[in-house]
Amino acid sequence: MQFNHLLLGALSLLSLPVLTQAQSPVSGFMNGKGEGAIALSYTAEKYDNVFLAPTDAQGVPVFNEVNVNSVSLYATYGITKRFNAIVSLPYIQTHGHATDVVLKELGFENERKGVQDLSLFVKYNPYECKVGTSDLSFIIGAGLKTPIGAYKVEEGLQSILAIGNRATSINGLAIAQLRTKSGVFLATQAGYSLRNGEVPNAVIGEIKAGYGSSRFYVDAWYAGQISDGGVNILGEGFQGIFPATDVSYTRAGVTLYVPIAGGFGISGGVSKYLTGRNVGESTGVSGALVYKF
Amino acid sequence: MLFNSKILFLPLVLAALCSTTSCKKDDVDALPTIAAIAVTNADFSTLEDAAVQGGVAVVLSNPNPGDPSGDYTVFAPNNAAFARLGLNKGDDLAVLNDAFLTNTLLYHVSNGNLAGSGITSGSTSGSALGPVRRFITRGTEQYINGSKILATDVKAENGTVHVIDKVLLATGADIVQSAIALKDAKVFVVPELSFLVEAVLYAELAGALSAAAGSPSFTVFAPSDAAFKQLGVDLGVALNIPADIRKLPKEIVTAVLLNHVIADGGKFTSELNGGTVAPLGGTNLTLGAFNNGTLTVKGNGNTVVANMVIPDVLTTNGVVHVIDRVLLP
Repeated sequence: MQFNHLLLGALSLLSLPVLTQAQSPVSGFMNGKGEGAIALSYTAEKYDNVFLAPTDAQGVPVFNEVNVNSVSLYATYGITKRFNAIVSLPYIQTHGHATDVVLKELGFENERKGVQDLSLFVKYNPYECKVGTSDLSFIIGAGLKTPIGAYKVEEGLQSILAIGNRATSINGLAIAQLRTKSGVFLATQAGYSLRNGEVPNAVIGEIKAGYGSSRFYVDAWYAGQISDGGVNILGEGFQGIFPATDVSYTRAGVTLYVPIAGGFGISGGVSKYLTGRNVGESTGVSGALVYKF
Repeated sequence: MLFNSKILFLPLVLAALCSTTSCKKDDVDALPTIAAIAVTNADFSTLEDAAVQGGVAVVLSNPNPGDPSGDYTVFAPNNAAFARLGLNKGDDLAVLNDAFLTNTLLYHVSNGNLAGSGITSGSTSGSALGPVRRFITRGTEQYINGSKILATDVKAENGTVHVIDKVLLATGADIVQSAIALKDAKVFVVPELSFLVEAVLYAELAGALSAAAGSPSFTVFAPSDAAFKQLGVDLGVALNIPADIRKLPKEIVTAVLLNHVIADGGKFTSELNGGTVAPLGGTNLTLGAFNNGTLTVKGNGNTVVANMVIPDVLTTNGVVHVIDRVLLP
């Protein structure tokens, strides 16, 4: 009983930051009432190849290689133990490696940066039950994501460096999570994202497996998006408008979290795009400082 | 218990499905567009850069609105083709005037699908720029103008691509106006052929080399500015600026210029062979053997052969080959 208490405490600690933009902001862990966490994370990603359809491109057109650095504020809060809120806001800087001559010829710049999209999600845990000695919980989530920075997306090929797609989206998702007494858990989620403007809607999914104890937490995740329509970059119908493209992908990653003291902990992770279309073939590392209350 | 297990696995299956199908879609039978072929093929990286800088990348991503088939045919120069002009990477394209670059790309494009099997010696094909291209068979090889066709019938979603070993060049103007365009930095961003233009004006040959109804077409070996400066060094006469040409006797300049013009209708390198050719004035010129799309040329008074710096430039009244030496009678 004592063990379970500790374990659950540790797990609820870890309804924690989603360190990369590719992961769903909503996890299968719930905060207790009045409990929550705030995280400041940094992610560095790089790609020099692009998933295009039907063939990948070696070298990013114009920019050769692209670095994406982001700093995100992320917070979760338990309004009740069954109803949590999540907010996140990233600041993103993209950096290309086009030569000065090419930049001058095209009138382009090697950098785009700014505050990207604010995400506000709520999740509700209506039902949980025992499966043998394990806990099975179901969660539904809904959220709004909307650009609050003044970043641009329609600058022709310059927008290869755009920091987002400027879509406002309404997202719905469902999660099932199985948690064993030992601390091992398995979570799956699937959802749909309705997006405005030219940005295609998308089906989103994620599978996550991990282990959490009072001393550390680790997970491995596999996430994907399938755009519901959209054109291919340099495919028929492409008019140089990147938000209108069919961005689909699968990614995988690993996250590790270690509590330090006084509610603080640190987290680190790696992630990589495995397959995709109209998206950079990027690999990323991230780290976060987390405060749990 | 059973019920709970099923509920657990439903989203699992759904998520797995989402994850594993995301990149399948309809790619199996899909072809890349012409623009995508250029971007995804490493041997077309300079063409990719040129298409981006010339503003045709998006055009060649889409169906051709100007043809019922919706297709284009593109003769695509590979990287080695651009390298012949000293264009080894995207940065090097900055030496070209933007409008000239775009026009040059359009000269490689035509409406509809021209299959490799439809390319026959002696036939011509119009271009999106306007000037036609000539097909020439030399031995077992096929050429478009002076460019060897290396591969045919690369299928694209919006047309057909044939690979060539030399960039196709057409000015859309006559010999004199083409040279003036070079002098005025409308081709390269720095002037070229400035000395030649000055010499033609000085020798009053502009009329003879301009296109007019019924006028003949020529093959012209056009010495670069560096060639004239080298001539100055060889003769011990300072030829530092184009006007210095006027230090030389007019009749000599006239004779030297006529030594560069052959009234043969205008021939591409693919149509030239080693041996002698008779220019309009002066003495026979000696052409070296045809070698990888170029030939050397030597005047009777030269000790060193001239090399073609920019071969096979189509004008409205002939073909110009820019060379690195002045051909002396």
